[in-house]
Amino acid sequence: MRVQLFATCLVDTFFPETGEAVVKLLRHYGVDIGYPKEQTCCGKPPNSAGYRKEARKAAEHFISVFDGTDPIVIPSGSCASMVKNHYPDLFKDDPKMFRKAEAVARRTFEFSQFLVHVLKAHESGFPNGRGKITYHASCQLTRELGVRTEPIELLNSINGAQFVPMKNADRCCGFGGVFMGKMPEISMALADDKVDSILETKTDIVTGCDHGCLMNIMDATKRRGAGFEVKHLAVVLAEAL
Amino acid sequence: MKRGAGQLINFRDNARRAIENPTLRRAMRHATESFRQKRSDAIVGIPFEEWREQASELRRTVIGDIKGYVDEFAVNATKRGAIVHRVKTAGDARDLIGAILKDNGAKNIVKSKSMVTEEIHLNKHLENLGLRVIETDLGEYIIQIAGETPSHIIVPAIHKSREQIGRLFCEKLSCDFSDDPTVLTNTARKILRQEFLTADAAISGANCYIADTGSIVLFTNEGNGRMVTTLPPLHIVVTSIEKALPSIENLPLLMRLLPRSATGQTLTSYLSIITGARMPGAATGAKQLHIVLLDNGRSEIAKGPYREILKCIKCGACMNVCPVYGMIGGHAYDSTYPGPMGVILSTLLNGIENAHPLLDATTLCGACTEACPVKVPLLKLLYELREMRVDKGYNQTVESLGMAGFGIAAKHAHIFQAGQTSARALWSLAGYLSPLTVNRLPKPTNRTFRRRFS
Amino acid sequence: MKNEEAVRIFMENSAKVAARPIRVNGITHMNEVLGEILANESAIYCPGISELEKSATIDTERRVDAYRDATVAVEESVAGIAETGSVVVTSANGRAVQASLLPAHHIAILSADNIFMSLDEFFAGLGKTLPTNITLITGPSRTADIELTLTIGVHGPEKVSILVV
Repeated sequence: MRVQLFATCLVDTFFPETGEAVVKLLRHYGVDIGYPKEQTCCGKPPNSAGYRKEARKAAEHFISVFDGTDPIVIPSGSCASMVKNHYPDLFKDDPKMFRKAEAVARRTFEFSQFLVHVLKAHESGFPNGRGKITYHASCQLTRELGVRTEPIELLNSINGAQFVPMKNADRCCGFGGVFMGKMPEISMALADDKVDSILETKTDIVTGCDHGCLMNIMDATKRRGAGFEVKHLAVVLAEAL
Repeated sequence: MKRGAGQLINFRDNARRAIENPTLRRAMRHATESFRQKRSDAIVGIPFEEWREQASELRRTVIGDIKGYVDEFAVNATKRGAIVHRVKTAGDARDLIGAILKDNGAKNIVKSKSMVTEEIHLNKHLENLGLRVIETDLGEYIIQIAGETPSHIIVPAIHKSREQIGRLFCEKLSCDFSDDPTVLTNTARKILRQEFLTADAAISGANCYIADTGSIVLFTNEGNGRMVTTLPPLHIVVTSIEKALPSIENLPLLMRLLPRSATGQTLTSYLSIITGARMPGAATGAKQLHIVLLDNGRSEIAKGPYREILKCIKCGACMNVCPVYGMIGGHAYDSTYPGPMGVILSTLLNGIENAHPLLDATTLCGACTEACPVKVPLLKLLYELREMRVDKGYNQTVESLGMAGFGIAAKHAHIFQAGQTSARALWSLAGYLSPLTVNRLPKPTNRTFRRRFS
Repeated sequence: MKNEEAVRIFMENSAKVAARPIRVNGITHMNEVLGEILANESAIYCPGISELEKSATIDTERRVDAYRDATVAVEESVAGIAETGSVVVTSANGRAVQASLLPAHHIAILSADNIFMSLDEFFAGLGKTLPTNITLITGPSRTADIELTLTIGVHGPEKVSILVV
């Protein structure tokens, strides 16, 4: 099987090790990975801020770069939702582009979605885990994509690790893309609440499928001097292989 | 909190002040957590999804023909002796209500909770006319004696702690200090009982009006709504035109969804269905019943792309689940309706030129959309109103320059990469200029994934 | 009895909303129970309009004509709704619906035959010409306006007893 990988801006710019973990995992299941070097950003930031024209430019570029028929794997719930839910909407008045957007949307999988529904990775499981792991259910992954159980199924299939659910797991961490920059005080207060929920679980690791949220949680973790690690689900799973 | 008409809502500063208020933070956390729990308990074991789908369809039908339902209601309510007034603007409504009260020589007026009267700033107008207006819902009463405005559409004093209310009562009502809700409630009960029995007129809102019977419906818990609608000889109902239900047979659906979504109750203590004025020889009902149906821009909204906000049944569920509202409370929104539905409705009612900063009051998390019992596509409307803000030029210049640059970079990987490199180079400067944002991010890597992939 | 299931659910749901439902077997039993409940009341209002109200034994010494002066109101409710545990009062037949509101204790007499299973059943039977006031009463008066702390008995009755005959 061959897939195309869209790494996302945050992974590319700030968290390349998450990208490497995704590659390691996919190759472990015998997946051949294409990484179109012309890829940039999915257009999520302008789209959320109301800049439809700029978002459309990014979407057009994405659609032309990710052509073909291979599944597209994205290690981010919000970027995957951008492609799957918002691309068709961006081109609703342009029948030709709309069809292309829909085709790209159909081929797109959020990373945990792909692991569970296509690779059935939770069935074979992961042999080498350790410690307690809790999970933050990011907003667009949960509510726009409807991916609620997949990450938990994967975490539950790690041998040696213990999944501990946190209170209000699907409550927003305060990242919100542009929100983090425009309303930093509220953003930080929400991230503090999230850290409280995480601390209550006495976990070793908090994981999630969106680096935006994880970045916001990391900052609050540092500010609070909390002892747990913050890692993308791909990193947690790759380490347990 | 005082803002003249046509003035920009300074949401950013309001929110910052709210965040720095620990009493408010504690009260909001307690209240919204408790509301969320009650609501989620209340929708277990019922076909919630099926009901909200039905309610959504029903409300969509209504907002598709508001004028038709207003007409039908007016005919039926008039037949039963009510006097129905259709008013265009907030000012018209204020003038009309003031005139009705003056014409009848009313001096003491008891009110039960009505957000539409907040929307038209009615109390201030009536006080200026020399009338004495007493709010009788406990939460509204607290707010009134504190000289504030509601911070939640269901629980107006949600932002206040019991200590604050105790001190307020002590000071304004000259009673002994207590922070026991039962004692405080009793104090208010005694004072307000006299008001009910001696009032010349009553003003209430309505949760909905029923077109085929000419009735108005009130969901209440305390009993003040029943008092004001049955004791004084003159009763003025103030509601807005979109609150129609086509038929009395639709009422059970609203009864099942509204209290569960609002307070987590199966049903409120009281549901009053009021049809017309008192009949000759009868012992119940106001002798004179006026029903004021306010438009205030709703007919226009109903014609436009954001019309689905008018499906809203004002349950408050969206604000109870909203992470932003839960952090800052309702006053920061500086408009009658706070929270997600409030951001949308206020933007449309007050005009984007005044309300556009409210569009930053969301992380786009979508919790509101999931909670809404009538499936108002709140998240979609928030996205669309942000687009409208950009289209109309109410966005920040620096943001639109940044986005334009982004549009170019997104099309060309080499420019995009150059952006990444310069971000790294300029990181310290950026952190200096915008510490609360940039310094919260990790430093960009010097070996991007793009370079590492092989 | 055909309505047995509705009565059972009604009793269960009205108890859940903090009303006090009591099942009585006929008029004699009703008056026994009423006697006990009314023992500590000083001013009793009972309009005596319906047959059930007429057959209620009310101590004439303590009976008052004005509901405003009463500590307790004893009235027949026209209907009960099992789904919500509500009793229904209306303005039909010259009744004052506020009589069940002002006194601190409301005793509703409800004929088991008048209990509807669901809200839909009740509303479907109403027709299009409604009495001036229909009020569904679901438990006592309550508020949670102070720190969302439940307080029973605000402006309306703090006690609601329901005698299901």
